[in-house]
Amino acid sequence: MNYPQFYWLAQSAKDTAQDTAQKTKDIVSQITTGKVAQGIFILLTAYIILRILDKLVIWLSEKIAKEWRLRVKQFLPFLRMLVLTTTIVILMNLFLNLSQENILAVTGTVAVALGFAFKDYASSIIAGVVGLFESPYGVGDRIKIGKHYGEVVSYGLRAVKIQTPDDNFVTIPHNKIWTEAVSNSNTGALEAQVVTEFYFAHEIDVNFVRKILYRVAQTSKYTALKLPIVVIITEKPWGSSFKLKAYPLDARDEFIYQTDLTVRAKQAFAKYNVAYPDLSAIDNE
Amino acid sequence: MLKNFKNWLKDRRSFLLSWYTKDSQEDQEPERSLIELPDPIRQKILEGVSDLPSNPVEQKAITKALNETFELWRENPTNADNSIVILSSPIAAVSRILTETLEDWSKKQQVSLKMIPLKARPNDITNIKYKLEDYLQKLETEKEETEVLVIPNLSWCFLRSLYGLEGIEYLQSLLCDGSKKRFWIIGGGQVGWEYLNSVCSIGAYCGKVFLLPPISPEELGKWLEPILESLSIAYDEPSFDKQILDSDKEHKTHYFEKLAEVSQGVSTVAVQLFLKSIRYLDEEEEEEADSQAEQIIDKITDIADSSEQKFESKNLIAQVPELPELGDLESADQYILYSLLLHGDLTIHALAESLGDSDEEVQARIQLLRRRGIVEQKKGIYKINPIYYPNLKRNLANNNFIIEET
Repeated sequence: MNYPQFYWLAQSAKDTAQDTAQKTKDIVSQITTGKVAQGIFILLTAYIILRILDKLVIWLSEKIAKEWRLRVKQFLPFLRMLVLTTTIVILMNLFLNLSQENILAVTGTVAVALGFAFKDYASSIIAGVVGLFESPYGVGDRIKIGKHYGEVVSYGLRAVKIQTPDDNFVTIPHNKIWTEAVSNSNTGALEAQVVTEFYFAHEIDVNFVRKILYRVAQTSKYTALKLPIVVIITEKPWGSSFKLKAYPLDARDEFIYQTDLTVRAKQAFAKYNVAYPDLSAIDNE
Repeated sequence: MLKNFKNWLKDRRSFLLSWYTKDSQEDQEPERSLIELPDPIRQKILEGVSDLPSNPVEQKAITKALNETFELWRENPTNADNSIVILSSPIAAVSRILTETLEDWSKKQQVSLKMIPLKARPNDITNIKYKLEDYLQKLETEKEETEVLVIPNLSWCFLRSLYGLEGIEYLQSLLCDGSKKRFWIIGGGQVGWEYLNSVCSIGAYCGKVFLLPPISPEELGKWLEPILESLSIAYDEPSFDKQILDSDKEHKTHYFEKLAEVSQGVSTVAVQLFLKSIRYLDEEEEEEADSQAEQIIDKITDIADSSEQKFESKNLIAQVPELPELGDLESADQYILYSLLLHGDLTIHALAESLGDSDEEVQARIQLLRRRGIVEQKKGIYKINPIYYPNLKRNLANNNFIIEET
């Protein structure tokens, strides 16, 4: 009954496919050796610019006053994104002749390809762009994603690279921000709070221990005295837990600072024979 | 013009080289400054500097502040503040300025001064509390009507270490004991004060805090006059912009304006800059000098002919004062330098204790800093070279250290 309609639809689809194929053929036919050479040159230039930018921004951030270090470093992803976007636009214009029709044809093809083959890659790139503005982390921040903790040393197009306390480099794709919680301990600030824990028996003089812990933090060369020092006490069945919360002058000194606080506090506790909890009784039980 | 540019380039060589190499500061050609002066002249300048009294402007400012606070306390000893804190820059010898000022002041006020018997930081910092206790117990037996207790330098009463703040805690308890017959005069460095304020809230226990004012160019000129008179020093041309903008001013005026500006009005820095700026022009260089410089030297020669003593110094010229480059500082260097500013002066052992490091570690670092000229050592006591203070202060403040907020 409706054969003419089916025929018309089939004919129309055939025409569209032929049209797209013809357009693609036209676009491809316009790619000459000269254009390819230009494209390679543009890619090389972009690569060199990116390398120079990386080196320059990191060098500059280490040279200037510490308080500006993170701000300068966090400018790097924006610069990288700018260079990459400019390069892609130039290349597309060179090879695809960006007219309205061409853009539609190409984006359709690219969208299908990305949808199937590079779903996660595209998701990471989009998350990276969103992350630039949402700022869950930036270069120089100390973050924890999943079970990985460390300092963000690079913010790439697809992933973020962090340096762990063991000096390992862990690459985490940006799309983790869609699903995982990101814990950032300094969010662009030079200082990050360091929590050092101490454990004692119940019978100790709590105020005396508290005073020693304050003094230990106040007299450490690493302590940022502009920020508060706090001692938190919690009671446990096996003894008392003390948390000394303070900020080092530079978040990079986090672990060395913690060591300094622990060493000097333990020296004082040894001098005054402050009792540690007896865990053997609990173990026996 | 070309010569000026060459000179400018020569002066900036260290800065330009620093872009390529970090150790350029050590390798650069030494400046022809005081160290190259003929022996008699050098000796004379150094003697002149060591004979300089404390700056009278600082003394006057202290006396004025003391009078105001002391009178208020005398009129109302129950409610008025019973103490005054005199703060200087951490590189100034505050104890010397204070002692010299108080000699005259106590005579005028007809009060007897009791100096806390501390001439330096004790080797064992935990002794401070007991030393202060002993001394104050002895004073109790004397039972005078009004006693003015003087702590010439608060920095000697503490060390940034676990047990190094006990002396300060004891002083705090004395300051707020409400005694109607005891007035306290406390001298100290600004950085140490800021530290104690953030750690022990010492400011809450003390009364007026008086910070020594910066010295003006005219006052600096007057203060250095005895040295200048005896040496007939000529003054170099000021910078090009100053020559155009303030063409009616003498070179001497330009010189002292620049000296006050660069030294930030701190007398110890100004003296070191003055010494660094004095240069001796030898015959060869004299021939090369431009016409204006020759005129100045001729003028000096005319004056110098009048006396043999002055003839010796005919080629002395005070160049435009400039601060030396601080160079790159690693974090470890910054911690050491901050500790020295905090305490004023320290032995290696005390410095190591204040940093929580071993003596050997600190010794190695401080030798490098001493070689660069940033740290000075005298009889085993280390302190910051005043000429580096303005740049160091800026560097540390930019790197999150508490330097000055008063």
